[in-house]
Amino acid sequence: MSRTKHVITVIVLSLLGVTMLVALNKIPNQFEYANSISQHIVNNAVKETGSLNFVTAILYDYRAYDSLGESTIIFGAVSGIVLLLSRKTLPVSSHGLSFIVKRTFGMLTPFIFLFSIYIITHGHLSPGGGFQGGVILGAISIIFSIVYGSEFDYKRYTPTTKTLLETGGALLFIGLGFLGILFGGNFLMNMRFLNMGEGSLISAGSIPFINTVIGFKIGAGLAIIFYSMIQKTFKEGVDL
Amino acid sequence: MINNFVFVALFLLGFYAILVKKNLIKMVIGLNIMEGAIFYWFITLTDRGGTIPIVNSSQVVTNLNDPIPQALILTGIVIGASTSSFLLTLIIELNKFTSSTNPDQLGGMIED
Repeated sequence: MSRTKHVITVIVLSLLGVTMLVALNKIPNQFEYANSISQHIVNNAVKETGSLNFVTAILYDYRAYDSLGESTIIFGAVSGIVLLLSRKTLPVSSHGLSFIVKRTFGMLTPFIFLFSIYIITHGHLSPGGGFQGGVILGAISIIFSIVYGSEFDYKRYTPTTKTLLETGGALLFIGLGFLGILFGGNFLMNMRFLNMGEGSLISAGSIPFINTVIGFKIGAGLAIIFYSMIQKTFKEGVDL
Repeated sequence: MINNFVFVALFLLGFYAILVKKNLIKMVIGLNIMEGAIFYWFITLTDRGGTIPIVNSSQVVTNLNDPIPQALILTGIVIGASTSSFLLTLIIELNKFTSSTNPDQLGGMIED
């Protein structure tokens, strides 16, 4: 880009910035919450959904249909990436790191897995949920292929397992939605089955189950994205 | 106000990267900076100065932050991650055909 174009870009952007600042400062800083939907959720969410975490209550109860669309978008992105980057034979991208790193992560990885399971299953009681814990679960596949080499990840956590978790998670989410119809409500309605009291692990109806299903789905989806991007499928029979 | 200023600065930084940079990956980074600026602005705008919207079952609910924007931003973050990973995949594929990530050198691809 020539110097003139560069100068013109900077001038236009600073004019845009001044306009945005003037417009944004007109927005009131304090909102009226007295009769708003968020005040209703803060007052009634524990009674209506059984979830102590209001963000989880919104995501998997009030707006569960929206979360279904969200996980469909992830599914679409994973499908597109696999379609574009699918290759039968490509060189191995990593042979693993040194012995010390391997032993350290051998001790750490079970705890990382435990932490992700904790984040996923306690989504209705503490900060976290399916999406957040699923990202940690996806990191385990990245640890496998960087620290232990591509072949280890390919053998231990095969693409078939990842695909099963991804598609199975999506189907189970829809199945949990139909459970709402089965119990006499609407699609994805929280029917408060298996309730053992507020604050216990098995409470809040379908929210912990949807969290678990989404967590494994997101973890497998991110693992598939990473797996496709570093292209670690290798030739059968080639000595590694 | 400081949150509006930070939002505008971050947003224009990302927009500048999209307009000026000659590398597609840097343009995707600029898009992500714009996204992050919008998330930051939305969260700070709806901050009531309260605590996180999680209660104990016995606790009296006083002065919680608004949970709805946080749920919306969580959706936004997930969708942003999906779109940027898909964009990076398209750039990887493009790089195989043209051996370049410069958007100005892609013009002749269509006629060939």
